[in-house]
Amino acid sequence: MKECYLGVDIGSISTKGAIIDDDNNIVASAYIWTEGNPVKAVRNLMRILKEQLPDSYILKGIGTTGSARKLIGLMLKANIVKNEITAHAVGTLTFYPDVRTILEIGGQDSKIILLKNGIITNYAMNTLCAAGTGSFLSSQAKRLGLDVNEFGTYALKSKNPVKIAARCTVFAESDLVHKAQVGYPKEDIVAGLCKSIVLNYLNNVGKGKKIEAPIIFQGGVSKNAGVVKYFKEVLGEEIIVDENSHLMGAIGIAVMARRHKTGHTYSLEMNNIKFDTKAMECTRCSNNCELLKIYRNNELVDSWGSKCGKY
Amino acid sequence: MVKVGIPRGLFYYYYGNIWKHFFKFLKIPYIISPNTNKDIMNRGLKYSNDEMCLAFKTYLGHAAYLQDKCDYLLVPRIDNFKQDNQTCTNFLSAYDIIHNTFEVKVLNYNIDLEHGEALKKGLIKIGKELGFDKQKIHQAYRYAMKKNEEDKQREITINLNKLKSTKTKILLVSHPYNTYDDLIGKEIIKYLKQNDVEIIYSDKFDEKITNKLSLNLSKDLYFKYSRDNVGSIIYAKDKIDGVIFLSAFPCGPDSLVNELVMRKIKIPHINLVLDDTSSFTGTETRLESFIDVLRGLNHD
Repeated sequence: MKECYLGVDIGSISTKGAIIDDDNNIVASAYIWTEGNPVKAVRNLMRILKEQLPDSYILKGIGTTGSARKLIGLMLKANIVKNEITAHAVGTLTFYPDVRTILEIGGQDSKIILLKNGIITNYAMNTLCAAGTGSFLSSQAKRLGLDVNEFGTYALKSKNPVKIAARCTVFAESDLVHKAQVGYPKEDIVAGLCKSIVLNYLNNVGKGKKIEAPIIFQGGVSKNAGVVKYFKEVLGEEIIVDENSHLMGAIGIAVMARRHKTGHTYSLEMNNIKFDTKAMECTRCSNNCELLKIYRNNELVDSWGSKCGKY
Repeated sequence: MVKVGIPRGLFYYYYGNIWKHFFKFLKIPYIISPNTNKDIMNRGLKYSNDEMCLAFKTYLGHAAYLQDKCDYLLVPRIDNFKQDNQTCTNFLSAYDIIHNTFEVKVLNYNIDLEHGEALKKGLIKIGKELGFDKQKIHQAYRYAMKKNEEDKQREITINLNKLKSTKTKILLVSHPYNTYDDLIGKEIIKYLKQNDVEIIYSDKFDEKITNKLSLNLSKDLYFKYSRDNVGSIIYAKDKIDGVIFLSAFPCGPDSLVNELVMRKIKIPHINLVLDDTSSFTGTETRLESFIDVLRGLNHD
């Protein structure tokens, strides 16, 4: 029996899973949409992974990352729960030990990680504003009647991208509507959008940071060929997009699950596990905390949201 | 006897201690609004417009809470601390906004050092308005200042001693009305403490030293409280592992000054901007990853 480790990255838009062995080979992987229901998405993910995983493997660790990491960590009884920045850095370093810059644009977050000799030296993440992330691209694709998957290749057709305000997505959107109404071809608008994502990212997240090669671009948006093209153009450097770039967080957290393994054996079978959450508003004081109670097999495993610590 | 209401926000975190000692000495009853909670925040949102920062919105909530519980509200009008040491326009406008919004009478004192309006003058005016004689007020003023100085020195000593700690040390650069507010800074501080971080507070330094030190980073910083904060970074920079900038959306001075400082300093840092809609999940991700970066956990 060979040992293997599962990493699950539950983002706002997509849920990713990767199973690796002791030599960092990817034994099974899956990429599905979260669709606002992380618990259901993870059940699906586990089913897909179970079909892929050969019987000769035994699961010795589970790690969770992404914005729903705590919830799913409880559900899967993960042996490690870590934020996505650390997970992405660890995952990328596993395959690219020399990397100096990691650009990442996800569904709601965008971040930049600078490394030197395998140690993070600086990083930044978008603050309040989620402008220029994947969800903006997908809503604009919908507006233009395009599938978000073909968005990138569509942008490559353009020879003359239109200028779209890069400061704020609300402005970018009104710019886009205006450009469409005065008759610019669709591919030029799409290309302009891809370029505005790049400029927006470099102005908001990458500002003042020295971006040095090798540069790796990952997160869902890295699958968009148009955005990759304009990163190359603006930075004047080669941009590496790994074929598994969308899985890097999952791989990273799987590596960490291996490092922190406890000897416990896990199962991918989720059918016999009942997992519920109940939301309620506490009325004991004027804070009116929104409480979330989490039950695994009808047993209360945790509750969140209380400011006073009573729950 | 009349009762004075002190809203727990903005100015309270700078002068509250002096006021308390002053009123205690003169035996004037006073009431301080409770820690910010959802109810106070919602009251504040009702009275505020969208240009005001989160801290100012909650301040209005505190004033609203107190309006029927006291005879006077204490709201200073702080203009400047001499040239090049201005305060933000919210601070300047607070008196007029509250005076015009609420029915309750407002005790006002001006701090406008450029035009000779010092803290002392303001307190004397208040004492007179409440019917005390000059000598007694002077005594109360001296007592309050002395007590406040003692309290402050104690806090500064505790803060500076933390710089010698062996734990991961993070300087929290933030205005005290954000740092110590229950709905703004409290959860962040709680999270950092749970993760065994030593927090050094940017407002607990000797401002006479930090205000001057800020000149090393920029000669034309305009706002007093920003200068004090920036100076604390210079003071502590070799003794800390990282800096967290915390500000309330949409703070004008912070968006300017923090941006400038972040481009100049060579210490690992993150910027947190909070609004009333923020859930703690996003903040937690940032804090957790920042602590990881500082401790180099990604490299085990």
